[in-house]
Amino acid sequence: MNAIFRGAKSAATWAILIAFTLIVVVPLIWMILSSLKSGSEIFESPWGLPKALHFENFTHAWKTAGIAHYFVNSLIVSIATLIVLIPIGAMAAYIFARYPFPGSNLLFGSFLGGMMFPQFLTIVPLFFLMNSLKLGSYSLYDTKLGLTIIYVAYSLPFTVFVLKGFFETLPKDLDEAAMIDGASHSNVFWKVMLPLAKPGLIVVGIFNGIGLWNEYSLALVLVPSEENRTLPLGIANLVMVEHYNSDWGALFAALVIVMIPVLIVYWIFREKIHETMLAGAIKG
Amino acid sequence: MRNRGRTAFIITYLAPAVFLYALFVIWPVIQAVGFSFYKWSGLSSNKTFVGFDNFKSLFHDSVFWQALLHNAEIFIIGGFAILVIGIGIAHAMQGEGRFTKALRSVYLFPNIMSLVVVALLWQFIYHPRIGIISSLLGKPAPSKPGAPVVELSILGNGDKALPAVIITFVWFAVGFYIMLFSAGIRQIPQEVAEASKLDGAEGFFRFRKVTLPLLWSVGRIAVIYIVINALNVFALVFLMTQGGPDRKTEVMLTYLYEQAFVNSDYGLATALAIANFVVVMGVSGIIMRLTRKDPSGVPA
Repeated sequence: MNAIFRGAKSAATWAILIAFTLIVVVPLIWMILSSLKSGSEIFESPWGLPKALHFENFTHAWKTAGIAHYFVNSLIVSIATLIVLIPIGAMAAYIFARYPFPGSNLLFGSFLGGMMFPQFLTIVPLFFLMNSLKLGSYSLYDTKLGLTIIYVAYSLPFTVFVLKGFFETLPKDLDEAAMIDGASHSNVFWKVMLPLAKPGLIVVGIFNGIGLWNEYSLALVLVPSEENRTLPLGIANLVMVEHYNSDWGALFAALVIVMIPVLIVYWIFREKIHETMLAGAIKG
Repeated sequence: MRNRGRTAFIITYLAPAVFLYALFVIWPVIQAVGFSFYKWSGLSSNKTFVGFDNFKSLFHDSVFWQALLHNAEIFIIGGFAILVIGIGIAHAMQGEGRFTKALRSVYLFPNIMSLVVVALLWQFIYHPRIGIISSLLGKPAPSKPGAPVVELSILGNGDKALPAVIITFVWFAVGFYIMLFSAGIRQIPQEVAEASKLDGAEGFFRFRKVTLPLLWSVGRIAVIYIVINALNVFALVFLMTQGGPDRKTEVMLTYLYEQAFVNSDYGLATALAIANFVVVMGVSGIIMRLTRKDPSGVPA
């Protein structure tokens, strides 16, 4: 009797899990299938499978709809941000972890505070600040450089927070031994500590990389022009402003193009991402 | 000598991060407070000090209250759904097998995806002609050419648009909470689970009496995250409905965007940003206070 009950319970559990999995996955599969359908199939059989695989949707999205240009912009801004962010963030995190000074906790606390401010709190002043900061005759507003600088500044709190935790886990004797051997403070950092912190740097790189690739709100306000548009802005513009609805297949393909890099990186590092999100959520 | 080197080292290594952070994060936060006391359309000559007038006009602005109400609906209805699904699914898939882990990773993926993709994808899902929902709800089979197609526009319908946005919000967010509650359930000591089993506590009873109280502290964290996310919704609404139809899905941040970058009323927009921040902090604070003790009286 009890065994039958337990069997029934686990059958119900399975039914719930399967139903929920379908709810999560069906929209994603629908998006991918639609990106391979012809225009008339998209209209006539929203639930149907593509009869032939229309890979030309992807070439249309990439070339005709201009996704290639936005893709390159996103790549430039994301990579440039990481190249500046990671050394700067690691340097600051290292100081907070290993070189306490009067007021260092207060300073670190104010960095953490940055994780609490919603971006929209600063968006109007930021808009004017970027307009007023001049490089020669140009302002930083509506430039990839300006967006990169803003991305670095707004990614610092998380980066410093995670890397400080990482440096604290490294044994103290290491840097002390190196110092006794006559290495300078900065040599210890670059030659000993940074290589040891590589796993932490990778985590921070992945997290920020995904976040930057997806970022929308700041870019929306700070880079309005076609020339500098990043991928999320570009595709949103395609749908909302240009009403690129004549070619639904290409629109679905464009969504898939935005998602694919994230999907690949996510699946490779899913355990690490999981762990870090959890640690951040519970400690933060 | 050594100490002097230390100080110089600290300063040079902190300087770039502190400089960027102070200039582009802290300074705009301070400026935001200042901006909110001015009437300003962007031209510096027209900047006039108006004291609390921006806050007063917000207080008398029915659109602001409507937006706040929509944020509250997203928080209450969406949040309730997230908690029920999050705890339910986490409870249903206990265990650390490869399969469970893979499932959890699948559930988390919408949370990792670009919100722009999520919003546009769901806009297509709700689309009256190509969407899968409308076709489920009764678009007639297109077998008879020329037959009138009943176009069910979900996002264009004042009664259905906000629930549709909330469903998308839950779909996007819930994986994170499943992860959170799964971790919470894992923290429940094995002995407690075993003992309750020996006591004959079965199924739902065990869930209610043993699992739920032990999830209290994780639950508080979850609710705070839901407050923050529900009151700061922007891209989802902006890209799915632009706050329409007829402001039926307007939320605080889409209204802020409109005031700032469509109407150029920067003072009012900044006051709105501050009001938004205060509401988030206030609601979070109240919830933290109210939930300080769990129902069984054990301080969390």
